[in-house]
Amino acid sequence: MSKALLCPCEDVTTSEVEHAIGKGYCDLESVKRFTGFGTGMCQGKQCLTAVARFLEDKAQPRPKPSQLRPFTPRPPLFPTELSQWAAASFDPQVAPGGGVPESLGLTESALKPEGEVPKKAKIVIIGGGIMGLALAWNLTERGETDIVVLEKGYLLAGASGRNGGGVRMQWGTPTLIELARRSIDLMERFARDLGVNVWFRRGGYLFLAKSDGVVAKLERAAALHNQYGVPTQILTPDGARDVVPQLSMTGVKAAAWNPLDAVIFPWPFLWGYAHAAQQKGVKVETFTKVTGFEQSQGRLTKVVTDRGDIACETVVLAAGAWSPKVAALAGVDLPNEPHRHEICSTEPLKPFLGPLVSVLDSGLYFSQSMRGEIVGGMGDPREPAGMNLGSTQRFLTRYSQALTEQLPQAGRLKILRQWSGPYDVTPDNSPILGRTPGLPNLLQMSGFVGHGFMMAPAVAERMAAWMATGESDELFERFTLGRFAEGRLEREDMIIG
Amino acid sequence: MSHRIAPIDQPVTFEIDGESITAQAGETVAVAFVAAGRTTLSRSIKYHRPRGPFCLSGGCSQCLVRIDGAPNQYACQTEVKPGMRVERQNAFPHASLDVLQATDFVFSKWFNHHEFMAGVPIVEKVMLQVARRLSGLGLLPDKPAPARAAPIVETVPLAIVGAGAAGLAAARTLSERGVPFTLFERERACGGRLSIGCDEGAPAIVVPPGASLRVGATVVGLFSDDGRPFLVALQRERLHFVFFERLLLTNGGQPTLLAFPNNDLPGIYAGRAVSRMVRTSGVLPGKRVAVVGEPDEARDLARLLVASGAQALAIGAKPVRAHGLRSVTALTVELGGKTEKIDCDAVALCAPLSPAFELARAAGARVGWDERSRLFTVEADASGRATPTVWVAGELRGPMSAAAAAEQGLVAAASIAATSGGATP
Repeated sequence: MSKALLCPCEDVTTSEVEHAIGKGYCDLESVKRFTGFGTGMCQGKQCLTAVARFLEDKAQPRPKPSQLRPFTPRPPLFPTELSQWAAASFDPQVAPGGGVPESLGLTESALKPEGEVPKKAKIVIIGGGIMGLALAWNLTERGETDIVVLEKGYLLAGASGRNGGGVRMQWGTPTLIELARRSIDLMERFARDLGVNVWFRRGGYLFLAKSDGVVAKLERAAALHNQYGVPTQILTPDGARDVVPQLSMTGVKAAAWNPLDAVIFPWPFLWGYAHAAQQKGVKVETFTKVTGFEQSQGRLTKVVTDRGDIACETVVLAAGAWSPKVAALAGVDLPNEPHRHEICSTEPLKPFLGPLVSVLDSGLYFSQSMRGEIVGGMGDPREPAGMNLGSTQRFLTRYSQALTEQLPQAGRLKILRQWSGPYDVTPDNSPILGRTPGLPNLLQMSGFVGHGFMMAPAVAERMAAWMATGESDELFERFTLGRFAEGRLEREDMIIG
Repeated sequence: MSHRIAPIDQPVTFEIDGESITAQAGETVAVAFVAAGRTTLSRSIKYHRPRGPFCLSGGCSQCLVRIDGAPNQYACQTEVKPGMRVERQNAFPHASLDVLQATDFVFSKWFNHHEFMAGVPIVEKVMLQVARRLSGLGLLPDKPAPARAAPIVETVPLAIVGAGAAGLAAARTLSERGVPFTLFERERACGGRLSIGCDEGAPAIVVPPGASLRVGATVVGLFSDDGRPFLVALQRERLHFVFFERLLLTNGGQPTLLAFPNNDLPGIYAGRAVSRMVRTSGVLPGKRVAVVGEPDEARDLARLLVASGAQALAIGAKPVRAHGLRSVTALTVELGGKTEKIDCDAVALCAPLSPAFELARAAGARVGWDERSRLFTVEADASGRATPTVWVAGELRGPMSAAAAAEQGLVAAASIAATSGGATP
């Protein structure tokens, strides 16, 4: 059939980009995410100009030249085999730094919408990631629609657009196990509730352990999982190989396997929540920065933005790893620290890998997306705290060495692109929720240490109920910011990376 | 039909899906495929549309094939070897007749993957399973990669990327002034558009004697792990980490895609892919070639095609729609205010390159939308300086002739020499 292709790698046609424009996506980062253009083998070499020209011709109002910003190019420039990156070395004693590009252009000021934000709203949610948008939608389900969501960049600019899409029930504390179970149920029916496909695939999670300490941790966790109805099994190395025949089991002592864990495509969650909330009257203001707060008598009264002030009754801080910076504007000290986590994607392959595989000893994890790419990452124990979203060669080397050790046939696969996102790390690896001491109408919703995405549907559901009904919920009493001052920590140790 | 201008004198035989094809030694799989009169080399990822080589410069995805057990290899970047086993991907039962092309008809405009069957009980689950099976391109490699040598780590005072018109001109000036540099070129020979393009009035290819040249060295990235920037170049299956003090980027661009219905049919090529085929391999993409797009470039290419024995049609016209089932058989164009359908067996799309700004951006240069050319170009001052340590010249900065690119190379080199404190004659 006649199709005019704008991105031949991913088969994106002019009609599809027109549809994205109709949905309000007129910047190249957003159109890239909504249509998938520029995410194929050429990484935008062939299609970027064509799509930019199309936007210039079709978007209303016509974008100014300064508003046509190319999406951030990701290394490598040409697909390059894992075996090549793996041949390099790195010094595990030295902390990683640097990274390219220095600035990601997350908040292009040229893209700031004209016009002011609403002058008042009952609830202002800061952060248009999955937490904030899921909360907004859940509040609308409870009849609360006088809400403004503020996002400093495009939708998906933050960690919600940067994670690997793994969702698991295998956690180390009853609270997280239950939240994750509920989230996974909500994710499975997301398309029914919100009308957007999220490519939920129950491929399971396979944790590998290479030391006795990690084996013991998996065994402890599995016993807890079983107690809460999660069917985690401890497998021998041979048993793990039955799950993924291509895996090398050298050095592996045991594995934990839960077939009910899953992999999803993260991006549509934000579109689904945002569109549904907007239909109910919620205002989602992208490319809008919070620059301060006004307070009176121990309460926040206004949120100050670069597009005007919003008088409000309640403020929810759901800005993930950016939350401490925003909180500081209200004089609140959050203990969260951003930690860069790098991640990458290979060329797409026909399906061969069912579960997400993770080596808990090293922090390596990888899975196959519904598009066929092997998406994976590996935390760096030396990564210093700080907001740094650059990409490094060191990561490609560490990851490639670890992945080819576990999956030797991956050596000739090619890395297509790498990027990074911030883990929002708290001192006890547990979230910060509930009221702020001294500022009771500032509600905290951050500190999810790299697993916020998978927790968000359940956390937002409970938070909306708590906010709307005022009924007590232990989540918002146990995990408060006040616990750090009170020395009441809630430790979670099943963190990957 | 595509064909060779001269017979093969150094034959190499390789296999595509079990069928033997004889090629000229030294040419790439993609060119050998075109020269053999074939059209469908791959199937597109979603709609299984037939695809053939387009850019011949490793910048698109239309020639990806499995080669000797490794998936998604660029046929246009892989030299034929005797006995090489090439397999076409993403087709059932066969790339020439792929029943999965039904998706192209079912989803006649586009496939709304966000909403298709979303939330429909049972159907949704089936759809997910089907989508999973159909996803991806190529299969996992057969075996682990061969052992790779550790990268070579080196430091150079000045790295230049791209030995085209701008890079070579800069290299000449720097050599004359005694400024040391190392020049990286992705192709096996220097020249860039000077060897594969067909610009009238282009300067000759002059490689300065004694220069430090790395040909066949693809720069795959620019990193800055500890604050010191370095290039990563892949040469003869080995990475080089090249720390540099200063950087001159003259790496040009990629063919620009023009959007019109059926712009992806086999037989439609980037203009420079056609001149490359004719000039470096003596292969004509067709007998009747529509040479459309930017008029100056189209005129030069038409002259080359006619001199090589093909017909050049619709020179400089605006392409409106391509026609054909398996490969292009006609093109509707607009020329002089008239719309016309022209029978042809190949199309050359002439358009200024889209600047390959990725390295410049990673090195800290600014990239902006140039309203006139409607391209993203790298911003720099009059001497080509984009940052205190990075210079850019040539088509990275926008559309220009080969002569103008060379001139920019000279200017950038002079600026580098003036700031290097190196010897001047």
